[in-house]
Amino acid sequence: MQQPNRLRPFFENITFDREDNELILNFGPQHPSAHGQLRLMLHMQQEQITKAHPDVGYLHRGMEKMAENMIYNEFMPTTDRMDYIASSSNNYGFALAVERLIGLEVPRRAKVIRMMLLETNRLMSHLFWLATTALDIGAMTVFLYAFREREYLMDLIEDYCGARLTHSAVRIGGVPLDLPDNFIGDLRTFLDKLPANIKDYEDLLDQNRIWLMRMENVGVISKEMALSWGCSGVMLRASGIEWDIRKEEPYELYDEVEFSVPVSDKGDNYARYKLYMEEMRQSAKILEQVIDMYAGTDGALMAHAPQYISAPKLDIMTQNYSLMQHFVLVTQGMRPPVGEVYIPTESPKGELGYYINSQGDAYPYRLKLRAPSFWHTGILTDLLPGHYIPDVVSIIGTTNIVFGEVDR
Amino acid sequence: MAQHQVNYLKDGGLPVALTTIDKVVNWGRSNSLWALTYGLACCGIEMMASGASRYDFDRFGTIFRASPRQAELMIVAGTLTKKHAEFIRRLYDQMTEPKWVISMGSCANTGGMFNTYATVQGVDRVIPVDLYLPGCAPRPETLQYGVMMLQQKIRRESASRAQKPKRLL
Amino acid sequence: MRAYTPKDNVQAKPYYTDRFWVAPQVAKHDVSSDAVFESDLNALKSKFEILDAYIQVEQMVVVINAADNFAVLDMLKNSLQYNQLSEMSAIDWLAKEGKFEIFYQMLSMSKRKRLRIKCKIDEKESIQSVEKLFRCADWSEREMYDMFGVVVNNHPFMKRILMPDDWEGFPLRKTYPLQGDEFAAWYEVDKIFGKEAREIIGPENRDPARIDRYDTERFARLGHEVPRGVDITNGEPDTPLVYQEKNGAFLITKFDPETSVTITDRNR
Repeated sequence: MQQPNRLRPFFENITFDREDNELILNFGPQHPSAHGQLRLMLHMQQEQITKAHPDVGYLHRGMEKMAENMIYNEFMPTTDRMDYIASSSNNYGFALAVERLIGLEVPRRAKVIRMMLLETNRLMSHLFWLATTALDIGAMTVFLYAFREREYLMDLIEDYCGARLTHSAVRIGGVPLDLPDNFIGDLRTFLDKLPANIKDYEDLLDQNRIWLMRMENVGVISKEMALSWGCSGVMLRASGIEWDIRKEEPYELYDEVEFSVPVSDKGDNYARYKLYMEEMRQSAKILEQVIDMYAGTDGALMAHAPQYISAPKLDIMTQNYSLMQHFVLVTQGMRPPVGEVYIPTESPKGELGYYINSQGDAYPYRLKLRAPSFWHTGILTDLLPGHYIPDVVSIIGTTNIVFGEVDR
Repeated sequence: MAQHQVNYLKDGGLPVALTTIDKVVNWGRSNSLWALTYGLACCGIEMMASGASRYDFDRFGTIFRASPRQAELMIVAGTLTKKHAEFIRRLYDQMTEPKWVISMGSCANTGGMFNTYATVQGVDRVIPVDLYLPGCAPRPETLQYGVMMLQQKIRRESASRAQKPKRLL
Repeated sequence: MRAYTPKDNVQAKPYYTDRFWVAPQVAKHDVSSDAVFESDLNALKSKFEILDAYIQVEQMVVVINAADNFAVLDMLKNSLQYNQLSEMSAIDWLAKEGKFEIFYQMLSMSKRKRLRIKCKIDEKESIQSVEKLFRCADWSEREMYDMFGVVVNNHPFMKRILMPDDWEGFPLRKTYPLQGDEFAAWYEVDKIFGKEAREIIGPENRDPARIDRYDTERFARLGHEVPRGVDITNGEPDTPLVYQEKNGAFLITKFDPETSVTITDRNR
């Protein structure tokens, strides 16, 4: 530890070793461009990093433990707080895992609404990613523009479920509500403007010299590294591996909609940026198709499985047996069959998987959350060495990590 | 007599306002609350949203600063875990007097829904809090209303009172 | 008499149990129903002892001996094209059989198949690290150690990852209560202020059902019943919703809705 005196200023987060010229810099855990509570111990030779040691867990809230002490439906709002930038995709992943465990088939209208929620959440997440990454690199304008668009999406979601950030908009067995009257119209208005907006961002960034210098050939992840580190989502596709769970192992209606999966073989920050922009366009494309599907569906929103799922509100209010069942399901919880299941979904960040081990009780025996960001943070150990200090910020930015998900 | 651009003798007379030091100091303090970017979890996103285009926090004079030395308001936005607790205390100690703390969201108020082994059950166990905002997550409007409440509180205080260090212990 | 609570599993229990309830099973299919899985299993069988294998929810589950874990994963990666380890962790079966179950969730991108390798170890036993095969196991194994106390051999950095280094106890074990033990309850106070501050700060309020005694709208006061909605604050003033002080703030003019413009067109 350095001793402070008048001539030498005292920086408590920097250790300077005169012997081998190595500097150890402590980055975080509260750093404005760490996208949350990431702590990095960086060993450096001058400006160049020789060893990086990410330290996570500053947002560990014990969600897996909570799950073991909750009935299945009770856990749904907790999943919101995992990847809090796109909550519905977490809700959905959990609901899907439980549905597969039980073996439920969800009504088509619920599927359509879920698709809309998933894709709007993907757009929200990508817009947020663009805003914060651009802000970290210094492009304040893009931050303001992207947040403006994101606010319109949040309004849409708010019209649907009443919450801006923590939606809980998906239930096990379906969705709780039908779309409000203005939803489709508003969504169309938004989608009409989105291409122009994306073009605005690209005009600001694509050929921007500073942006290119900070992004191009920085943070190159090779194919082997991406696979070995368990990367998924854009992190994997930017390294030249064409793997999108929506395409390869389709769930919901992803096998009925037409969209393409952008892939790049560069593996650097710029490739990831381009993929995010392209994915936004593809999400918009999916949404357009899903809107058209909505009209052809009938009104059922929740699956019919009296043993596991409460009856519709009307039945609960009018029929005694439905009321009794609802009471039992709320107070004691549903009891899925004995077995285990691992269901991956493609969340905006990557492969979001839920492993559920059920012993036939109302509480899961073990629930493991496979959050993509956990490994996207881990890869920093191998990715950062060799880079310079300013690159750290842009690399953390493009990995798109969310700490609610890393630490759970 | 020299002709001035502004005629001090017309339009309400001389440019003199009588007031107290307290009022002037508190006016300055309450309208330039620079907040530390302390986004811990989900509420941090709403805090960013209130700083961004639609909600525009700058019009309240609230600008987010990354350094505790430049900030006088700490908005604890999100879950404080036991692992992080010592750092929040250290950053709070690094802020210059006078300083205020807003605890934003249920997690920061009481631990909220995370009644688990890893969560601090309310940041007021670690640092003194001036204002608690309910909600999970509170909307940006709530945060802005909270900051306006804090401004009122600052204006009510005696300006020299805040020189006394405010400590939990 | 106080109800007996088992010490080996302190997690929440349903308050109502149906004695005659027989839990249904998620269907386990025979591996021969899927050609890809069958050939993979046969390849594994030729080299290792397979304790059990079945297909559940479209994924094959293979139970192996814990000592084979590295070799099995090596074979899966290098000859059977399972190129990603999506997830690995442990399950606590200490109360039932004194063992941890460790599972490795594998993904083959070329075959579009997922399979799960499972093995069991004793409480004090350790397991071989697979970090040399899949770098992501580095962090997963640290997390497993952090949460369950399962020690992993040949791991480059066997330290806690999510909990602080000086933490005591392994949170995801069934013997660990959800709301933490004595150590967890005072952790931040001890660390920041020291043990002597415990009395000043006081214990945590862990009761989610704590009620406000002045609230007569939502809570009845047992033994001191009052009519609903009656004010019992004893003259303590309420805080009205106001944005500025009554006489206006110094040097700040109030917002005037008359002179403002409402923007309806985004592209104005």
